[in-house]
Amino acid sequence: MPPGKRRKTEETADLRLQSQLCEEERFWDLMRRMARENRTAVLSFILIVLVVLASLLAPVLTPYDENGMDLMHRLSPPSQDHLLGTDEGGRDELTRLLYGARVSLLIGVVPALLSLILGSALGVIAGYRGGLADAVIMRAADVTLAFPSMLLAMVIMYSLGGGIVNVFLTLTLVNWANVARVVRSRTLALKSSEFVEAARVIGVPEGRIMRRHILPNCLPTLLVLFTLNIPASILTESSLSFLGLGIQPPNASWGLMINTGRQYLYSAPWLCFAPGAAIMLIVLAFNFLGNGLLDVLDPRQRKQ
Amino acid sequence: MEHNTLEVRGLTVCFQTAKGAVRPVDDVSLKIPQGSIVGVVGESGCGKSMTARAVMGLVRSPGKITGGSVTLDGRELTSLPEKERRKLRGAEISMIFQEPMSSLNPVMKVGRQVAEAVRLHTGCSRAEARAKTLAIFREVEIPEPEARYDCYPHELSGGLRQRVLIAMAAVCRPKLLIADEPTTALDVTVEAQILKLLERLRDAGVSVLLISHDLGVIARVCDYVYVMYAGRIVEQAGTGVIFDRPQHPYTRGLFRSVASLREGAETLETIPGVVPNLLRLPAGCSFLMRCPSCPARCENEIPPLAETEPGHAVRCFLAGKEGAT
Amino acid sequence: MRRSIAQRFLQALIVLVGVVLLTFVMLRVVPGNPIETMMGEHADAATVARMTAELGLDQPMHRQFLRYLSSALRGDFGTSYSLGKPVSLLLKSAFRNTLYLALFAALFAWILGVACGLVCAVSKNRLPDRLFLGFSLLGISLPVFMAAMFLQYVLAFKLKWFPISGTDSWRGFVLPAAALGWNSAGQVAQMTRTSLLETLQEDYIETARAKGLGRFGVLVRHALRNAMLPVLTLMAIQFSGLLSGAVITETVFSINGVGRLMVQAISGRDIPLLQGTSLLATSVVILGSLLADCLYSVLDPRIRKEG
Repeated sequence: MPPGKRRKTEETADLRLQSQLCEEERFWDLMRRMARENRTAVLSFILIVLVVLASLLAPVLTPYDENGMDLMHRLSPPSQDHLLGTDEGGRDELTRLLYGARVSLLIGVVPALLSLILGSALGVIAGYRGGLADAVIMRAADVTLAFPSMLLAMVIMYSLGGGIVNVFLTLTLVNWANVARVVRSRTLALKSSEFVEAARVIGVPEGRIMRRHILPNCLPTLLVLFTLNIPASILTESSLSFLGLGIQPPNASWGLMINTGRQYLYSAPWLCFAPGAAIMLIVLAFNFLGNGLLDVLDPRQRKQ
Repeated sequence: MEHNTLEVRGLTVCFQTAKGAVRPVDDVSLKIPQGSIVGVVGESGCGKSMTARAVMGLVRSPGKITGGSVTLDGRELTSLPEKERRKLRGAEISMIFQEPMSSLNPVMKVGRQVAEAVRLHTGCSRAEARAKTLAIFREVEIPEPEARYDCYPHELSGGLRQRVLIAMAAVCRPKLLIADEPTTALDVTVEAQILKLLERLRDAGVSVLLISHDLGVIARVCDYVYVMYAGRIVEQAGTGVIFDRPQHPYTRGLFRSVASLREGAETLETIPGVVPNLLRLPAGCSFLMRCPSCPARCENEIPPLAETEPGHAVRCFLAGKEGAT
Repeated sequence: MRRSIAQRFLQALIVLVGVVLLTFVMLRVVPGNPIETMMGEHADAATVARMTAELGLDQPMHRQFLRYLSSALRGDFGTSYSLGKPVSLLLKSAFRNTLYLALFAALFAWILGVACGLVCAVSKNRLPDRLFLGFSLLGISLPVFMAAMFLQYVLAFKLKWFPISGTDSWRGFVLPAAALGWNSAGQVAQMTRTSLLETLQEDYIETARAKGLGRFGVLVRHALRNAMLPVLTLMAIQFSGLLSGAVITETVFSINGVGRLMVQAISGRDIPLLQGTSLLATSVVILGSLLADCLYSVLDPRIRKEG
């Protein structure tokens, strides 16, 4: 590499670092702003943290065993001993709810993360390369999005079979297309921006441009997508489990608890409504948080 | 004595914000004699547009008219109930806006938008409204009015759109037309045509309040000029007088910066400093921070708007004194 | 405009073929012989061989695909293994119920949603706004199955206002449609509110006010049509969500629709039926978005002239 060229590379690298540092500072500023202005988002965040802590501390918080059967007290209504009653095996509903939170949260976070990685990789390639790669990836996304999400999930679950790992895979395959679309349009915008032009002119390789210049600039958008994909995953999984197509016992997600509780809807409605309310709360919290993030990180997006 | 179409006395508009009360229009008085064009000039944010809105009765919440009076042909407007005011808007007072691009409803044919104004105020039939619309289209020199009637806004050029807006404002023969920066978004040749149109309306007996930051526009068509700064009138005079003998340091600054542009001077002369934050106005003269020569008095006393010669008033302690010139 | 619609149509067709391909491949990568999976372990070899030949599973994949595609074009989607009837016949009767359900739900959601959004926007930040906004949030966060079970429990089981299940009369559709539409109603309400508030900030609203229109006139004649454009896009997207939700609602209320058929297909390991149902559902979604595009270009003259 001729010395002049190298110096230029270093210079742009320097500039980029500086702008990134500013970005980072800006990011925390924005977070602080959200914390100040958006009380709902803060409350949602606190609620999420509390649920996570409660599910982790479940063994300490409750005297009952997750799978401890007590056939003397089957289907007993909420009482002092069992705040949310017991299920068909006499197990404490609240205890099951706490342990179920682990599964449900995991099912929210893991597929959201996986689909983020897959979607942004494909999206940035489609946007940056254009041409055939773009056409193929975007048509694949179109096909994915043409499916009602539940139906696609059902078809994939059918061919993969039940189980928690397959639920992860299925939800990833359902959610990637949305991420890819958003990242692609961001990439198209960034591609023509000056700093990417500059990097291209001095001969930075394509892969590096995508990784170092474009993706970091998509991060705020990706954070929002991540936060909003979590409740979507939780909802889809609970719907799948509700139909008996999701994860299989003995793992118990909230959706599966509703599925088993459904048989006792008329005699022990709390078995359905307690996990149902839990799903609602956590979904609502993530949605509030996601929209709060969207408001401060990407106000333009919000309008669309 | 000549008859005034519009008289504004001591008009004050107040906004309650989280950081305190702001008065974008503060004790503004002006009058528009019938059949004349009166200009209001000033930088953006000086309260020109808000004055216009207040006259129209279109101040948006949380803004409020907190004082003063507005009379149209001797009839007090500020105390009128909203229903009555609505009947006046478009019929007796109408307004055209700065952005011809976005001031027309994009999903409605332009002819129908004008006809809507006619039907609203005259209650005539669809066919009559159409005929009246086509007539006013001809009057404001829209070529091929029949074809344009069925166009959507995005199919017309900026100049044509502004003509449509003027047609909409003039179709009910209002007594007063407020034009808020009507030519700012247009290019120079179109600007001249639009200004000529305003003059023709004036000659037809419509009084015009022309709001602009462009001194060239003001000089070309106005009979009388008010200069606004930070919500207050700082100088007022006949157009010839004010261009000939500006008194207020702000007015002079404005003229100097334009002159230096026109004469192609080496350096562009500007007024130092920026428009003050309305939340933190000085206790005295609001031009204090940017004034090249201010006596100590200006710091805690607001100068009154005082006549220096008949029809020429200035809000400056130094006005008319030797030291200022 | 005609060209852009033709273009959209072609694109939709490509997507549809992609959907067939995707389901086709996905359902055939299931490990093991699909016939054996379908019939369980007790199948005798002769039957398996006969079925394999009948379904053309002994042929190479691309041949199978073309065969399926060409017969699908003629309206033949094969025979359901678990129910022993032609898939097209099953789909026909199931589709009617699902269509009614989805249309009722859409009607419920969109009318309620737009009305709520309107009330919110007009009374911005005052009590009705807060009230309806909370209501719509409840709608958004309530999963379809919860809404379905809740309505079933309270209105059908406790109060006995509506039948618990079945579609013998229109009353049977009320609860399922409400449960299904609940979610969309919340979304539409929020979108209508935001969009309307934004539209009311536009310059042409000021022009309309200056013209002498009152609040109501401005809202109805100038703001609403412009504000509904993004809402329309949302509605098209929602139609797909409604079909997703139909699977749940039909299961809870025992309605014989496409969604329930699909659940049956999965539990019966019935590949032709599963393929038929998913193809039908996606076709409806694609058609829906095509329709929305056309409607959009009718409502927005700016788009009409481009393309």
